[in-house]
Amino acid sequence: MTNIDDKDMCAMEAAHINSKNRQVLLTCRVNGQVVVEEIDPTMLLLHFLRDRLKLFGAKEACGEGECGACTVILNGEAVTSCLILAIEAQGSEITTVEGLSKNGELSILQQQFVFEDALQCGFCTPGMLMSARALLDRNPDPTDEEIMEGMAGNLCRCTGYQQIFNAVKCAARLEREELNRS
Amino acid sequence: MTHSELDQCTYQAHGNYESSYKHVGQPYVRKDALEKVTGQARYAFDLEMPGMLYAKTLHSPHARAKIVRIDKSKAEALLGVKAVVCGEDCDTRVGLYMQDKLAIATCETRYQGEVVAAVAATTEAIAERAVSLIEVEYEVLEPVRNLDDALAAKILVHENIAEIKHVEGVFFPQPESNIASLNRSLKGDPDAGFADADLVLENKFTLPAVAHVPLETHVAIVAADPFTDRIRIWSSAQSPFALRQLMAWSFNVKESDIEVHVPYVGGAFGGKAGIHLEPLIAILSRASGGAPVKLRMTREQEFNYLPTRAGMRGKIKTGVKKDGTIVASDIVYDWDSGAYADYGVNVGKTAVYGGLGPYDIDNAAIVSNTVYTNKVFSTAYRGFGHLETLWTVERQMDILSQKLGIDPYEFRMKNILRPGATTISGELVTESTGSPSDCLSAVVKEIGWTGRKSEEDRKREWKTGKIRGKGFAMIQKAPAMPPSTATAVILQMAGDGHIKMMIGAIDYGQGALTAMAQIVAQELDIPMEMVEVVTETNTQTNPYDWNTVASKYTFMGGNATIQACGKMLDQMKDIAGQALHCAPEFLTHGGGYIYNVHRPDRRVAYKDMSLGYAYPDGNGIGGPLIAHGICMADGLTNLDPKTGAGSPALAWTFGAHAVDIEVDVESGNITVLKVASAFDIGQVINERMVYGQVVGGVMQGIGSAILEGYKFSPDNVLMNPSFTDNKIPTMKDMPVEVVPIYIENPQLNGPYGARGVAEHTMISIPSAIGNALYDALGINYYHLPLTPENVALGIISGEKDIY
Amino acid sequence: MLSQFDYVKPLVLDEALDVLSRDTDTYILAGGTDLLIMLRHELINARHILDIKAIPELKVFSYVEGKGLEIGANVVVNKLIESEVVRDNYKALHDAASCLASYQLRNRATLVGNICNASPGADLPPALLIYNATVKIASKDGVRTVPLKEFFTGVKKTQLTKHELVVSVFLPEPGQDDDSCYLRQTRLKGHDLSTVGVACRIDKNGKACIGINAVAITPLRLTALEDELNAKGITEESILWAADEIKNHIRPISDVRSSKEYRLHMAGVLFKRCMMQLMDKEA
Repeated sequence: MTNIDDKDMCAMEAAHINSKNRQVLLTCRVNGQVVVEEIDPTMLLLHFLRDRLKLFGAKEACGEGECGACTVILNGEAVTSCLILAIEAQGSEITTVEGLSKNGELSILQQQFVFEDALQCGFCTPGMLMSARALLDRNPDPTDEEIMEGMAGNLCRCTGYQQIFNAVKCAARLEREELNRS
Repeated sequence: MTHSELDQCTYQAHGNYESSYKHVGQPYVRKDALEKVTGQARYAFDLEMPGMLYAKTLHSPHARAKIVRIDKSKAEALLGVKAVVCGEDCDTRVGLYMQDKLAIATCETRYQGEVVAAVAATTEAIAERAVSLIEVEYEVLEPVRNLDDALAAKILVHENIAEIKHVEGVFFPQPESNIASLNRSLKGDPDAGFADADLVLENKFTLPAVAHVPLETHVAIVAADPFTDRIRIWSSAQSPFALRQLMAWSFNVKESDIEVHVPYVGGAFGGKAGIHLEPLIAILSRASGGAPVKLRMTREQEFNYLPTRAGMRGKIKTGVKKDGTIVASDIVYDWDSGAYADYGVNVGKTAVYGGLGPYDIDNAAIVSNTVYTNKVFSTAYRGFGHLETLWTVERQMDILSQKLGIDPYEFRMKNILRPGATTISGELVTESTGSPSDCLSAVVKEIGWTGRKSEEDRKREWKTGKIRGKGFAMIQKAPAMPPSTATAVILQMAGDGHIKMMIGAIDYGQGALTAMAQIVAQELDIPMEMVEVVTETNTQTNPYDWNTVASKYTFMGGNATIQACGKMLDQMKDIAGQALHCAPEFLTHGGGYIYNVHRPDRRVAYKDMSLGYAYPDGNGIGGPLIAHGICMADGLTNLDPKTGAGSPALAWTFGAHAVDIEVDVESGNITVLKVASAFDIGQVINERMVYGQVVGGVMQGIGSAILEGYKFSPDNVLMNPSFTDNKIPTMKDMPVEVVPIYIENPQLNGPYGARGVAEHTMISIPSAIGNALYDALGINYYHLPLTPENVALGIISGEKDIY
Repeated sequence: MLSQFDYVKPLVLDEALDVLSRDTDTYILAGGTDLLIMLRHELINARHILDIKAIPELKVFSYVEGKGLEIGANVVVNKLIESEVVRDNYKALHDAASCLASYQLRNRATLVGNICNASPGADLPPALLIYNATVKIASKDGVRTVPLKEFFTGVKKTQLTKHELVVSVFLPEPGQDDDSCYLRQTRLKGHDLSTVGVACRIDKNGKACIGINAVAITPLRLTALEDELNAKGITEESILWAADEIKNHIRPISDVRSSKEYRLHMAGVLFKRCMMQLMDKEA
């Protein structure tokens, strides 16, 4: 292992420190709360959310944007957080699966995932929910093709997708009905 | 809406399925759903421990090479590195059925992707950097590239094949060869059968290795106490108890020294059965002074290093009479198991009793060779060899019917297994075995089969650029497991009458937690919300289950649960009898009470006995209610080494798929318009979840059929170790329609008559699509996958047989 | 990721060009969907990351009637799909953008990034090539404009130097009675790289333009084939002739995604389908 003797240690103790270390201050809002953290610029947004903020909902399943398990909503858009540097989110608004339900009550979308059994192992589920959330936010009445376009970037190996498709479709209808009521 | 409110929403079961039971068969929402839709569910991938180190691994770039020298010094000098280990630091052997593998390659690497060194460090970044500093010098050797190379045996993947420790009498390694196990079965006299045949047809069918692709890659944390033999493991394993046993074997410690915790598992499909990363991490943990060490595979490592479904070649020879009676079948299955055959040999063995198809054939022989090559190694994958063997058998059945000029439905029905027939192993088929013919009839009807397309029809449709085709195929599978496979469950009642249940199985999405809770609710007659099945399975507290594999848990866990409930009811009746001053035989149960059959008002609530019953004067009797139930596989035996005779099948689940496809005659694109899938599952336990198994399995089957497969370079380097080039289907690739059909011919020793249905749903999708492709094009394809490229180049070639 | 880099996010173009002229191991970050993969796979070792997303000049996405469409380096692919200008005037680009990667990636991936990555199989270049796109390149030494056709120099190679960045891509006004489309073959219906992709255009003079990817070391404009086809006049017969002839104008290889034979076959099929689609619409 690295050899550092006592003399070296004493010299280090006495030395002046002028840190030019590669740290940047990241300020953003995550699930409605302001977050200020000093980070290494090489840190990925996904790892910032998981390792620093301990929001473990978003998963890493490929690390190259192909599977969508790390999908979060960044300034209103679904993005794969494994291919974004955390510092790119400076001043941004981020929503993760942990931000989908309010006051301990499941959102309509989450309820429909439960009701349609749109999950099995559940590992892809947070990403699926975030893609669906972003889809319904920009398009409250998506066609079948638009649902597939919005969701196909999220891989699921268990369900065969039909139940997820159904959940998104039903949630869209119920959310529209809810909006009309209020 | 709360979880239980959602339960009460009107759910439209597929096929308007209705159950006659109060809880069993009802489509409850899954118990684990809430945690999974809120991001609260914790997987091994998410776990962190105090003092935890991070591991990274270095992998061989060569398929076969001598390790000449490893220099770890630069890696070791890096600040934050706690341990660097390579093969010379340990000689830990790993394996279940064949201990043919080392935790870290020593002296020689046998596949590209094999781990040659590993690092534990304080951060993942440091570990990664340290790995990049390890220098390895290889002497590259010529690899055993494929089955033909392997069977020629000029180069041996394992020089010491005869010395490899294995389960004797079940697996048969062949000395001086690359055959890890040669298994065989024989029924009747195939030679005589062929002599009697009017037509003998020989064909060869092949398919490549395919990856499981659980969304959660393999991950584990291991803390190996340096002062004792204790090793603690938190793993994405699908079989904690098998892992406990195998770790104990590998490290030569007591099973009780191994502790395995399994939180939620992000998909497994067989790839997380047995033992994988854990020994390697234990070595790192020991070398790091016992700190918990976490190792997570990247997707690329998952493809390169961790096991896959074996590639397979099936050579089939079938003898038939003019009237369509099959008189003889002779099949050789060669499994390209890659560098190791630990689990692969059991897939190979299973083929000798599951690889004939659900047909009544008097004279049949199967030889199954599990073969070593210098490729990534193989293991169990959903279907356990049956997708592969039925790709062979069910395509052959279709081609035979073409040659005979008999409708493929009629041809199958003529030969199908019926009560009174025996399987190749000699098992007697009874009414309780389930009905393959009911399944086939149902799917053929559902897709509106009226016979094969004529050549004129094909020509007419060809002009439109797209041709429709229909096809179908049979499914059969029984759990592949040792004859003495067992499971156990424990029920404990809390003071408020809630049941806390512990099982040994893992619920990685198939719904075991929910299904077992339903059985408890049914047996004890209490509401579903009164039953909680503990989600983390932990060998320290949970009761034993052999392995969560083989689609056997509903059957075995269900039986154990029924037994446990019966015992708990007996305990309560005993206490209630004393409390009510009546004999237990006059007591019955319902609605959370034990009551007198004649005077229902004479009753005691479960909760009043849960922790012991107290008389009005405070005096207590009974005690905390705990009951356990077990299930031992019923009547199974090992197979005779020469004839394969014996009793291998706990439950045969039969089924059939029929598909309607559309082929683009220029691009070769296949669109799956409809899949009808029928399974004789005896009794639906939860329709929502059975439906999930059907559509999920069908989709995986479509992946194997038209998309997936490993591609190797001439040097046996994996060319597609990523989602960029090793794709799985997306939502856009869904079939237009999947129609599940549940057949319920009860198996009399199953829980409520139920059989398992999980792996089965993916089996034979490739065969059905291959058969539909013939219907559409009049071309027989013999190799998977049926990619647009393979289909189109087949069409262009003008040939009628595409190998 | 082994790279250890610092991160600069300038607000003006000059500062970005300063950084590029100073630090040669600087990598430009816009959407990051290719860059981050290269970093994570250790294909590059970056010391400095230059995030250009805050530079106003690079956000340009403007159409001037009679002149054409300028697409800045920060314009993401989903913006192209949503643009009516693109759909109405540059249909092939709309088609190509619509099938590029997945929805999430298109929220980050930029058109300029797609050409700078210079993958032979990239989806957007064929559609840009048939519109005679030009690339505006800036450095401390000034601005230069090159035709996209000359921009690509090899597999993952362009004529961009380490000191330069692409400001925008310009597509000249196609004018009335101009139509185009892009079709591609993939291994599955979901997101995938092109096995082969073909963009065709029939311009206001009735002349065909052909762009194609994944059949050579760079995306190609098949001008020689265009000339022969246009000389014959565009008819069903000449299209079928060209669909067969196209194989003599491309040099695909066999790789993990496809065999050479299938690429040759599908180039013809897709070309024919593109042209027939345009003919049908005209009729």
